[in-house]
Amino acid sequence: MKCAWLGCLLWGGLLFAGNQQAEFNVNCRYTVESVELSGDTGAKISAGLREELTRLVGENLNPPALDQVAKRIRHELHVRSVTHRVLRGTQPQHVKVVFDVGGRSAKFEVSVPKFLYHSNEGWSGLVEGTTTVGNQAFTLGLVSDGDELAERYSGLLGRYENRKLGTSRLRFRFQFESYHEQWNQATRQNLEPAGPPPSADYAGLYRTRQNFEPVATLVLAAPLTLSVGTGFQRFETQYPAARTEASNSLITTLRYHRVLEGSEANQQDLDAGYNLRAATRILNSDFAYVRHHWEVRYRYSRGASVILDDFAAGLITGQAPLFERFVLGNSSTLRGWNKFELDPLGGSRVVHNSVEYRYRVVEIFYDTGAIWDRNQPVVPRHAVGVGLRQGNLSLAVAFPVKEGRIEPIFMVGMNY
Amino acid sequence: MALPARLPQLSRRTWLLASGSVLVSHVLGGEPLGVTWDGDDLHISAPQLRFLAGKPLERLKNGASVFFVSQLTLFTDRFQTVLRRAPERFVVSYDVWEEKYSVAKLAGERRLVSHLTAEAAEAWCLDNVAISASGLTPERQFWLRFELRATEPREQPDLLNESGINLTRLVEIFSRPSTSQQPGWVRETGPLRLADLKRVRGRASRLG
Repeated sequence: MKCAWLGCLLWGGLLFAGNQQAEFNVNCRYTVESVELSGDTGAKISAGLREELTRLVGENLNPPALDQVAKRIRHELHVRSVTHRVLRGTQPQHVKVVFDVGGRSAKFEVSVPKFLYHSNEGWSGLVEGTTTVGNQAFTLGLVSDGDELAERYSGLLGRYENRKLGTSRLRFRFQFESYHEQWNQATRQNLEPAGPPPSADYAGLYRTRQNFEPVATLVLAAPLTLSVGTGFQRFETQYPAARTEASNSLITTLRYHRVLEGSEANQQDLDAGYNLRAATRILNSDFAYVRHHWEVRYRYSRGASVILDDFAAGLITGQAPLFERFVLGNSSTLRGWNKFELDPLGGSRVVHNSVEYRYRVVEIFYDTGAIWDRNQPVVPRHAVGVGLRQGNLSLAVAFPVKEGRIEPIFMVGMNY
Repeated sequence: MALPARLPQLSRRTWLLASGSVLVSHVLGGEPLGVTWDGDDLHISAPQLRFLAGKPLERLKNGASVFFVSQLTLFTDRFQTVLRRAPERFVVSYDVWEEKYSVAKLAGERRLVSHLTAEAAEAWCLDNVAISASGLTPERQFWLRFELRATEPREQPDLLNESGINLTRLVEIFSRPSTSQQPGWVRETGPLRLADLKRVRGRASRLG
């Protein structure tokens, strides 16, 4: 009981500490002469952060601003703690600020990159444990995802990453995945074993699949990167008989990601990418197809307002396995629609755009898109929704724009 | 030599309790509190109490401000029954050029002093802690407990980031030392009676 009052005072103290620190710190009358980062960390920070550090020089000492910068350094350098010291400057009435970077990146970290409940699809989640040794990272994860593809895949994944292969411009990643598949009734009915296949473009269902994927990434000219690799997918088909098939492909990804910082409350983020997967008989693949995928994400934030636009398009030529086919109507595309009603087998052509506006914790979005197959009509569909978002955590209700009975879709989770 | 008239009124039990409380006070953290009364409020002193030391002092010398929260509690039954509490908050900073301390009292009427030595800053904080004695009759026994704690600045770990929930950070949060393990000091005294206390002229009046 005696600690209750202290608890209240502490919370109160912490809530108002920022302003009061500035108000009552006697050193606030001194001018910042220089700002330093301890050790050799100075070379690893971004230009934006360097600029922020420079802005502190010549101004009066501002402890809350130092706290903000420390937080940003911690975030950029992926370290556990960043503290700051204020020392006498070389000139009277001047001080120098030293940021001490402590606790390098954790050697072992467990994270939940995805966690989602979708009222149509149920739960999806991914848990990963990563061990970091220098520039190398080993990851082991468990996943059950009924959201991303037409199937629900559950199993484990392992990943090895080397973020500096001789030079910081070259990275290497090898990923292994082993999944067990579950299929929705609608998908099963569309691929009845006794009936004729709906199209020559469709491959059959499978019960398990494994993927071995080595990829090397080269920084062409920052922020433009090129990734080249191969994907060796093996899967065990269910019909007409259990047998193992392979879908081996060449992978190429070109990506451009740039953060444009204007004034303090004005930031733009552009992320664009093109991904090509070409499965070929040369790699002993049972399938031969080419899968193109384009994506452009733009984010503009000003104060508490954020506008996002996410455009994606895809095209598959040839016969691709179901996990390669595009899906709309999940937690990130045409939210509000049921993907199994739109296209239970996925599509070989897709176009989608999502516009989202966020103000503080409130978000509203409008999704539009179409998914179809070769020789099929293109039917554009629309969806709207509203939600609450705090960081990566989001709770949203989405409605399909259509005639007749409308069933809203409820989603809650993170990183979806 | 004749003893003062009021001494024979104290029972053996009272003496035992007083001795016991002095012992407990020493076990809890050194000297007992000095207490004075200005007719309205009770004031305390603890000249040996050094709270500008250890980690708080390290942070001060690094140019940061350090927040202290205190509470003076008035008991009427050997630290069992609380009659009143008087919380207070102070923020201390250290001038890196002048090597002097500055203290601000945050609760109630705000006050600020600067150019103090460490001892003077500590004494100023205690001088600004007081609790109302209203409701106490001159003969009624009471006890006082003074608690002081430095609040640690807490970096908010990146529990949520681009890679989702970081469970390692979550474990870190739950592994942190509790508030009770932050630098803290406790001083107690009693039993006391208003009739026995030294009367002083009104100081920093503070109704608790």
